[in-house]
Amino acid sequence: MSDRSKLIATGKPFKFDKKYDTEFERLVKRYPSRESMILPALWLVQEQEGWVCEEAIGYVADRIGTFASKVYEVATFYTMMNLHPVGKYHICVCRTLSCWLRGKQEIVNYFRDELNLTPGKTTEDKKFSLEEVECLGHCGSAPVLQINGEFYENMDVDKVKKLLATFK
Amino acid sequence: MQEAKILSAKFAIKNSNKLTVAKKNGAYQTLDKLFSSKQGEVIEVVKNSGLRGRGGAGFPTGMKWSFLPKGLDKPVYLAVNADESEPGTFKDRYILALDPHLLIEGIIIACYAINSHDAYIYIRGEYTTQRIVLQEAIDEAYKAGLLGKKVGKQNYRIDITIHRGGGAYICGEETALLESIEGKKGQPRSKPPFPAVEGLYACPTIINNVQSIASLPWIIQNGAMAYKRYGIESATGTHLFGISGHVEKPGVYELPFGLPLLDVINEMAGGVWKGRKLKGVIPGGSSCPILTPEEAATATLDYASMAEHKTMFGSGGIVVLDETVSMPELTLNLIQFYHHESCGQCTPCREGLGWMEKILKKILGGDAETKDLNLVRELCDNIEGKTVCVLAAACTMPVRALLDKYRDEFEALLKPEPASATTEAPAEQE
Amino acid sequence: MTEMIKLFVNGEEVEVESGKNLIDALEKVGIEIPHFCYHPALGADGNCRMCLVGIEEGRPPVVPACKTPAKEGMKVLLDADHIKKIQHDVMELEFINHPTDCPICDQAGECKLQDYYMKYEGTESRMRVPQVKKRKVQDFGGGVIHDQERCVACGRCVRFLRQITKTGELGLVNRGDDCRVEFFPGRPINNRYGLNVVDLCPVGALTSADFRFKQRAWFLKRAESICHGCSKGCNIMVDHNKEKYEDDIIYRIRPRHNEQVNGWFMCDAGRMTYKSENDNRLEECTLAGTVRPLTDILADAQSRIEKASKALFLVSPSASLEQLVAVQALAEKTGAAVSAFSDGYIVKDDGDDFLIKDDKAANRTGVDLLSIAKSRTHFDNMAKEADVFINFDNDLSRSLSEEQIGKLFKDTWVLNAATHPGHLGTAMAGKAGASVALRSWSEYHGVVVNCDGIAQKFVGGVMKNIERPDIVEIAAGLGSPATGAAAAWALVQKKIPALAEFGSFLELPAEGVNLTDNEAGK
Repeated sequence: MSDRSKLIATGKPFKFDKKYDTEFERLVKRYPSRESMILPALWLVQEQEGWVCEEAIGYVADRIGTFASKVYEVATFYTMMNLHPVGKYHICVCRTLSCWLRGKQEIVNYFRDELNLTPGKTTEDKKFSLEEVECLGHCGSAPVLQINGEFYENMDVDKVKKLLATFK
Repeated sequence: MQEAKILSAKFAIKNSNKLTVAKKNGAYQTLDKLFSSKQGEVIEVVKNSGLRGRGGAGFPTGMKWSFLPKGLDKPVYLAVNADESEPGTFKDRYILALDPHLLIEGIIIACYAINSHDAYIYIRGEYTTQRIVLQEAIDEAYKAGLLGKKVGKQNYRIDITIHRGGGAYICGEETALLESIEGKKGQPRSKPPFPAVEGLYACPTIINNVQSIASLPWIIQNGAMAYKRYGIESATGTHLFGISGHVEKPGVYELPFGLPLLDVINEMAGGVWKGRKLKGVIPGGSSCPILTPEEAATATLDYASMAEHKTMFGSGGIVVLDETVSMPELTLNLIQFYHHESCGQCTPCREGLGWMEKILKKILGGDAETKDLNLVRELCDNIEGKTVCVLAAACTMPVRALLDKYRDEFEALLKPEPASATTEAPAEQE
Repeated sequence: MTEMIKLFVNGEEVEVESGKNLIDALEKVGIEIPHFCYHPALGADGNCRMCLVGIEEGRPPVVPACKTPAKEGMKVLLDADHIKKIQHDVMELEFINHPTDCPICDQAGECKLQDYYMKYEGTESRMRVPQVKKRKVQDFGGGVIHDQERCVACGRCVRFLRQITKTGELGLVNRGDDCRVEFFPGRPINNRYGLNVVDLCPVGALTSADFRFKQRAWFLKRAESICHGCSKGCNIMVDHNKEKYEDDIIYRIRPRHNEQVNGWFMCDAGRMTYKSENDNRLEECTLAGTVRPLTDILADAQSRIEKASKALFLVSPSASLEQLVAVQALAEKTGAAVSAFSDGYIVKDDGDDFLIKDDKAANRTGVDLLSIAKSRTHFDNMAKEADVFINFDNDLSRSLSEEQIGKLFKDTWVLNAATHPGHLGTAMAGKAGASVALRSWSEYHGVVVNCDGIAQKFVGGVMKNIERPDIVEIAAGLGSPATGAAAAWALVQKKIPALAEFGSFLELPAEGVNLTDNEAGK
């Protein structure tokens, strides 16, 4: 993995809004230890903001009552936590084994050549961001993309073109 | 060759993830029988069925349960491993998305058998839609009184909580999974203590794979003997085989154990695609050493045959490679995966996998010499077996096999040796 | 009594204590098992893999020694080829991404990577691809500087801050070979024990901002001492060196292990007490404002004591037992009063439940054992009566204001023997009839008794260029029956019978003598 330790501060305090506050309180009751909420709480942050900023990590630590260093560890360990803002459409291309065997590289090349979008980057209009991820567990329908949580299976460059055209 | 319908019975039924549809098709019919049995009897049935863990290690499920210490004044936890992340493995996803009630029913059986009231399903973070379907099924089950304080109107409480992973393959390792639920980085624990004695929150814990749990309702319903009629003696029952890579019809197929590997590839998955020749088969997920076509021809899909072929049954995720595949590039793809997923805890894995990746890149860049190729091969031996968990071995085992079985492909990439290597040797100097 | 068990190491039978892991059990009998991450105070983590040992007929046959309890009959293999190969291979892997910048690394000379390279690796590097790059010279707070590239990710620092101080400032972030120690932005190391992570770090990843680039470790002389910063009496190592043409300087203080006192640790404030040993010291002996030889001053003072209607000796609650008895004996002989009044040494609510105590005196228990009065009333009364006052290094300015001191000794002849200026306040400095510059605790030997009643010896290894007397010498010079260190110790033994069984003070056991366990000590 690459270094994920450089956090981005927004300069504004973070807080769960009502919906996620309620969800936090619902979930915390399901564990005998509050620290179990570290990863679920980071997920709630990401659902609310689209990514996880420095202030949110501090907030989660204080809310749970644990060391910020522990939440920081968890946020950097789990690569699905976006530690920087991502595009409106966050495109994950599976890079591993079966997807690689069935042509994921052509799709990655397409993004590079047509959208000037390389893994780890976001387009200037903030519409698309691209990430190469490890096996997404859809080897039987490789190659696969995951965009904002939705899976797109049996992809090829033509299908990607058509798909992107539907994203406004 | 015909598909079995133990786990996949409802996969083709529309809306089988909904409780009403699932119930109409046989879900939750084991509960009366379950709660009228003694807990020990349930464990005996599972032991007798020969069910082995379907996550990859193949440890007998009933025996795992019987390791729980008796008479402890501590809660017992069930952790269901839905972290399915091994490249080439995509079977549990079908159960999660198409028949979540089968899993929930299996959890009820397992909880009752091991005297647990709290189950956590650890689902990989990438399984977003699957998680939503599963959560809806759990909510339905709660509403229908199948979960909660009185499961099936019995005086037995079961609560199920879904815990989402965050993109870390290692959390499929059972102790890393527990660490992750506890709110930590997913770094495996040293064993002993084993989870059955000291697991989640330092309490006795059983960790079972989704497919193992989903096999339970059928076993309870039909009995151990009926289950054993599928498969072979050392590997009973059926398995969801995921076939992917260079085949015509990739997908998940439920089959009994013991079938010939190539027959399954040819008859179920339509054989190697585009009329090409077979170059190799990874038989059970990316960590299993590759089989050459000759080796694949004699292998059958069970633990013993795979061991005889010096590989593993693993998760039963079969990856087929056609003649066009560059083995050095495949090797790099695998090493990159394991390097990316190394948790960073123990030295050999943390430092070694990155080193191997860089050497492979050097080889592929045409900048390496024989000593570099020998070094990466030697590192496989130096790293393996020295680590806290088996992630490093999951990398070195397949890489060793690739280096040994397809060495000429790697050698072809090496720089020519210096014209007269001997002139550099100190012994030659006067 | 610890139960002993017998096991085999490389085929040879050894007897070790039971109930310990293999690293600790064998270390006690002089057999080293290399390790980075294990530390007795932090427990076994098992991440470095350096302590893998073979167990003949064991299942599994190779185990981490840190997580393996020593068992009767166990057959441990340390020098078998396959174990030596593991040690070599793990070391090679520790090194591939290490910068090997020993010439500019402060850990050089006391670095486990260096030591183990010589013992267990010793081969040329095979790293022919680019190394992982990480951050250098990070300020971790609390005077700790971090070099990520030197780090072996053993996690000792992280575990110390989570388990011991429970402040948790550091974490190991990222994964794989990108993993590194970091603090969460804005929450750096901020506790009173933070510098212990520098000692715990087995390599040069964590260094002390205070010590960095000051001395090479191999030049330092070591003196086994006791911290005089508070009444806990943490065992310390005083690392000092006298460079050519320079004075003997202390460069750092480190904790020394003593399970029944401080374990492996000490507080940061105690660590920094070396600075006042080096700096701002009194240098001269004066009589009536002019520099005079010590003998003149003592002769003058002695005659004043003889003539005085009442003399008062004030001793320091941090003075050694020997110093206290020497002054006490002098007082008994001359009919003078002795006080150890030192209320100001107690800083209320400053202590914690770990090592830091409210009482900043190193030997108050010793004062009590010798029945030296220390109340304010007694001191005030005696001071009013006295026409001769000799202060033996009590920092009275901690207990009384300048005005109070000035008033008490307005018409008194004062001899102020002290290590540092200002003990009687700045106003008194000019007025003192005489002053003597004293040796400080890092320069003399002695015994102090800590807050838990544990008598501990310490050695003063620092030899300053300026010869200063010790209090025992002054007392002797003034006519005390304790004519020297040996005589003073004999007197101590007479007054504290629990110490009588030891010949010289050097024979006190390393872990100290618990006087509260002993009836005779009470």
